[in-house]
Formats: sequence, C-alpha cells, structure tokens
Amino acid sequence: MSNNKTSSNGSAKDSIENIQSNFEKQGYICNTHIATAIFLSQSLGKPILVEGPPGVGKTELAKATAEWMEKPLIRLQCYEGLDEAKALYEWKYGKQLLYTQVLKDKLNQIVSKSDSLESSIDNLNNFDDIFFSEKFLEPRPLLKAIESENGSVLLIDEIDKSDDEFEAFLLEILSDYQVSIPEIGTVKGKIKPIVFLTSNNTREIGDALKRRCLHLYIPFPDPFLEEKIISSRVPEIDKNLKVQLVNFVQGLRNLDLKKLPSVSETIDWARSLVLLNVKTLEPSLVRETLNILLKFQTDIDVSDPEIENLIEKSKK
Amino acid sequence: MVDFLRDFIHILRSSDLRISTSESIDAMNIVSEIGLEDKSLLKHSLSFSLAKTLREKEIFSECFDNFFEENYMNLKEGKLPQKIKEKNTEINDLDKLGDIKNNLEELYKNSDKTSLMTAMALAARGANLQDIKLFTQVGMFTRKIFDEMGLEKLNNDIFQASREGNIKREEELKNIRENLRLEIRDYVENQVKLRTSYSGKQLREDALSQMRLTQADKSDYKIMSGIIRKMARRLISVHSRRKRKSQRGLLDIRSTIRKNQEYDGILFETIWKKTRVDRPKIVALCDVSGSVANVSRFFLMFLHSLTEIIPNVRTFAFSNKAGEVTDLFESKDIEVAAAETLLLHGGGSTDYGQAFVDLEGLLENNIDRKTTVIILGDARSNYGDPRCDVLKTIQEKSKRILFLNPEPISVWGSGDSEMQRFIPYCSKSKVCNSLNNLENFVDDMIRSSI
Repeated sequence: MSNNKTSSNGSAKDSIENIQSNFEKQGYICNTHIATAIFLSQSLGKPILVEGPPGVGKTELAKATAEWMEKPLIRLQCYEGLDEAKALYEWKYGKQLLYTQVLKDKLNQIVSKSDSLESSIDNLNNFDDIFFSEKFLEPRPLLKAIESENGSVLLIDEIDKSDDEFEAFLLEILSDYQVSIPEIGTVKGKIKPIVFLTSNNTREIGDALKRRCLHLYIPFPDPFLEEKIISSRVPEIDKNLKVQLVNFVQGLRNLDLKKLPSVSETIDWARSLVLLNVKTLEPSLVRETLNILLKFQTDIDVSDPEIENLIEKSKK
Repeated sequence: MVDFLRDFIHILRSSDLRISTSESIDAMNIVSEIGLEDKSLLKHSLSFSLAKTLREKEIFSECFDNFFEENYMNLKEGKLPQKIKEKNTEINDLDKLGDIKNNLEELYKNSDKTSLMTAMALAARGANLQDIKLFTQVGMFTRKIFDEMGLEKLNNDIFQASREGNIKREEELKNIRENLRLEIRDYVENQVKLRTSYSGKQLREDALSQMRLTQADKSDYKIMSGIIRKMARRLISVHSRRKRKSQRGLLDIRSTIRKNQEYDGILFETIWKKTRVDRPKIVALCDVSGSVANVSRFFLMFLHSLTEIIPNVRTFAFSNKAGEVTDLFESKDIEVAAAETLLLHGGGSTDYGQAFVDLEGLLENNIDRKTTVIILGDARSNYGDPRCDVLKTIQEKSKRILFLNPEPISVWGSGDSEMQRFIPYCSKSKVCNSLNNLENFVDDMIRSSI
C-alpha cells in the first residue's frame, strides 16, 4: 500500500512539473502552486475560480491551458445584465420567421390538404417541432463548451461583473455539466470541459459557487518569478536592466497606490525600454515613461518623490 | 488519514472557516491524489478546496502549520497507511488503548516522545477532547485523558508500593505520575489554543454586541469596530440585491417596438424602463458630549461603513456647537475619524437648541423631501432652550426625522431631558444602546428609504 502511495505521489509530482514546463514553453511562467491547481482541477474534474489583482495573468492561465491541451478556448465575458440568451443559447427568431414566410405556400398546401380543423392543427404541430430543433438553435459560449466533441477549455471571465442571478444559473452547469432546453431536452457533454472562472473581487462571489470550485489566488509574483516572466516575454532585454526594472516595480508596489502596477504593465514597460534602447534606469527617463506603469495621475504624483530612492535601491 | 483530515477540518471550522461537506470530500480526493509526502505541496493543494478567500487562506496557513507541526511526525511514520489497510480502526484503537492502560509505566520509561504523543492522542479521542470549549476545562480534560491512559493502575501501584514500605519505588512512581500529568496538561493546553481561539472570540463578540455601548471599555474598541464591519458587510449584501430588483420599471413600448423591428414587428424581446432610484439622502446629527460619546462614535462608524448602499451621508457632531465631520470620515480611516470627531467636537456642555440652529444654518437648502434626518443623543439640554421651532422647520423641509436615544424610555423627559418635547416632530424615536440595536435600526432605515 505504502509503495503504491509513493509511486502515485511521484506521478502527481511529475504531472505537476510537466504542466509547469509545458506552460513555460508557451511563455507562461508559473510557480508550482498554479500548476498544482491545474493538475487537481483536471484530476478531480472541478472548475477553478481564479482570483487576484488585475493583470497577474488570470486570463492568460486559461489561454495557456487551452494551448497546452490543444483544445479550443471558449470565452464568456461577463457583464451586468448578461443573461441566459447571451450565455447559453437562443432561438434564431429571424431565421424562424424567414422560413415561415418563405414556406407560406407549402404550409398552405399542407393545411389545405387536411379537411378538418383538428387534423390541420395536428399537421402544424409537427412543424412546430421542426422550427424548434437544433437547426434553429444558436449556441452561445456555455452550450458550445458543453457540446464540443473533443472537450474544450471554458473561460468565464470576470464573473464578479455579472449579476447574482447569473451566478445562480451557473450552478447547474458547473456541477453537472449539463443544460436543459425545454423544447429539446437535456444536453449533456461527452467530455467535461475544463472551466476557469476569474474574478477581480469587485463583489463577493456567492458561497454556493465557491463551494463548487477549487479556489486559486494568484498574487503579484516575487522578484525571481517576475524576472523569469520578463525574460520569457521580452527576451531581447539586457540582463542588468531586467533586474533593475523588476526591483523598481516591486518597490513601487510597496507604495500606497490606488492601482498597483501589474505584471502585464511591467512587460509593457520592459518592451518600451527596449525600444528606447535603454541600458540602465535614469530618473528622467523613468519619469517620462512612468505613465506606462501607473494609470492614475494621483499615483504618479505619489511615486514621483520616491523615484530616485527606488532607482537607487533597485541598482543594489 | 480520514481521522487526520477530520480533525484538521474540525480545527479549521473552529477558526471561523466555513467548510461544507462537499469541500471536505474534495479535500479527501486531493489528499489521495497528492499524497502526504510533500508537506508544502499538500498545504497549497488543500488550500484550493478549504480556504476560499484571501483572509481564509491566511487563517488556513496558520492552522496548517500549527496542526501539522504537531501531527506530521505521526503522519510520516506510516501510521496512516496502516490504518487504511486495517479496516477495523475502532477495535484496533481500543486494543491499543488497552495496551497503554496496562503498561503505562513501561511506556513512559521505555519509549520515545513520539509514541507517548500517539498514546496521548489516542486517549484524547477516548476522552472526547475535540469537545473542549473553554480554557477553564483544561484541568478536567487532563484528568479524563489521564484516566483513559491508566491513571487508576498507576495509583494502585503507588498505593501498593507505599503499603509494602518500598519508598524508593513509591517515589519513582510518583515522579512518573507527576511528569505524565505535566505532559498531558501541556498537550491539552496546546489543543485548547488550537481549537478555542475562535469560539472564545465568538462568545466575546456576542456579549459585546449586546452590551450597553455607554459601558464600552477602550480595550473593546478594536473588537467592536470589527463587529461593526461585519454588520455593515451583512447589510450591504442584503440591501444591494434589493436595490437592483426595484430598479426595473414598466414596459418601454417605444424601445420594444424599435428593437423588435428585425423580427417583423413581432414583439419577442421586451425592453423595460428603468425607474430612477431615489438616492436616499441622510443627515445625521450626533451628540458627542461625554454621556453619549460612545454611542455616537459607533453609530458614525457604522454609517460610514455603508457608503456602498447609502452614498449620500452627511454627518454632523455637536456638544454645544454643531460642525460637519463628513470630510473627516471620507478622508481618513473610520476609526481614526471617529476618535478625531470626539476630540474636535466633544467636551462642551450639551445645547440642543444651538445644535439645531447650527444644523439648519449648515444645511441651508441642502435639505429636501428625500432627506432623512437622524438625531442621536440623550436629549439632555442642560435646561437651555431646546428650540423646538427650529426642529419643526427641519421636520417640514425633510422627509422625516428619526431620533435615537441611548437612555431607556422610562427616563425620557425626566430632569433636563427634553425628549418628550422632541417626540412630536419625529416620525420615529427609538432606544438605542447596543450594537445590535444599532444594526436593527440601520437595517430598518435602509429598508424604508430605498
């Protein structure tokens, strides 16, 4: 028994490392923490709720997973007022109307064939079924993900922006991976999609939804990881500059700012510094390009007096 | 393994984490996927299913470290896999416990700390240590566990030794007994720390939210502002949903027709008008003189924690002159702001008449039929003119006046209290002297103003 245990642990560890190295190949650098979450969600068949400050790569994680598993990524962006018709399925009303118009003559024929009112209603009833068949069904992201033949990666982005009602509606789909359409019946997928939900925590997510998910919190990366991310995304950057830049941004995150600079903004800044052919950080240059990192004038004002200090520290 | 996870989850629950059955099943599955070898891997794997907010993750991490520091040795030494193999764990445990009972002396003399710990854990289960609630129970549980481990036999041996006159053996056994007792006590104290830190806090919080605010001690402020935050969060989650629902209005026929042109004018999709939600305006006037300062302090903190659902709050504080403190609360942390308010405006002798005049002057025309005016104070005006005429103009301009008085109804109007003269101008006047009262009042107010 204990031997078995060790070997299965070994393979779990291997798979986690495997995931990590695969992600790395695609340029998504992550720590074991994140890779473990992906591994567990796969092996337990559970959705992952990813939380964290904006710009730490929550959406990227889903993209990287899709690419690694070679499955299509289906993305559903949430917003206030999102409802079933836009998330799950909708009838193609226009097409239905058009068809009834075009087929008017045909319908007349059929109705005229029957002699009593009852039989013509019966005849029409049959058509009803035709008009409410899959031909006239417009699948939206959720249905697409469930129906897809070879499985898929479903990304429900910024779930915190949607209404409570929509969250409740997701519960059935996330626990059973099935959808009931009254006119057709229950649609159940062959392969469970891998589901990511992301949230920026603009509002508390309901307990019921959280219970059904594994919860992964991605914080800002530590300097070591951030350096790795930069060298993967901006390979042409000078090594010295990279260290300085990462240290500078990390120092900036310790200040009392409205919006802290995210990883994606660090990458943007690194790219622009490379374009400007910079070899080392200078106060005047940092002041000119600071608006790439900081998006609020108040934040820029707060950090302005600290710039020399931060640069000094980052060079150590 | 099941036992350990169960114990661990029990501890997490008693530390204020809500863990559902389905989440514990997930945790089980995770453990069987990951195994127990790698402690840090196990830690963050379990955190995916057992801790679902940042705050919970912190608590989880602390509990995990405490719990596994103690139990990880046992886990590693293969005690667990064995247990899974032998399905009759219960019988197995009992047998072992029997062994311990008979050989307590040898166990203490011969074996290392780990097996002693194991024995204690086993006995602790027999003594239902997981039910321990309070620190004062330590003695009782120590004794219970000692009993489970075979105190009786040890006592008998000591008794026999003393009867035989074997003083050396008697001393030795007594030493063992004392040392064991200390070990067990340490163990129980550790467990209490692990399990009761939260339930003790819970008791304290319950007591504080019912306590009369005028009696609140400075040392309780921190816990109380925590309670206020909790209450505010609860109210926000309840009322933000209500608001959204009441926003949908009548059918908007014009836009519905326009939208449905693409369907040949057949009305498939309905467009609804949006009703404009009247943003309630709230003006609060708080007495911050000595006698009611505490109530005002917490009331102000409460109001300003609710900006998400009542954005238009203006607050004024007075003892003899009224001044606006809204900016203070908007620019600073609420606790700091509350303290500063008391410093700035407290200390004078109360004059309600002057306060009403000042309030009317400060508000000028910023008071209309949407404004709810809340007055908090004991209505004791030191025999000054209460200026009911000014209160009447405020009442006429505003939607309503609510009066909160921390004193019990029986003394309203006694001595220099002008309460009976104020009541006619207020739509509601209530006693309010504990955090629970405050919460109920604010809940009521929001319900009737959104």
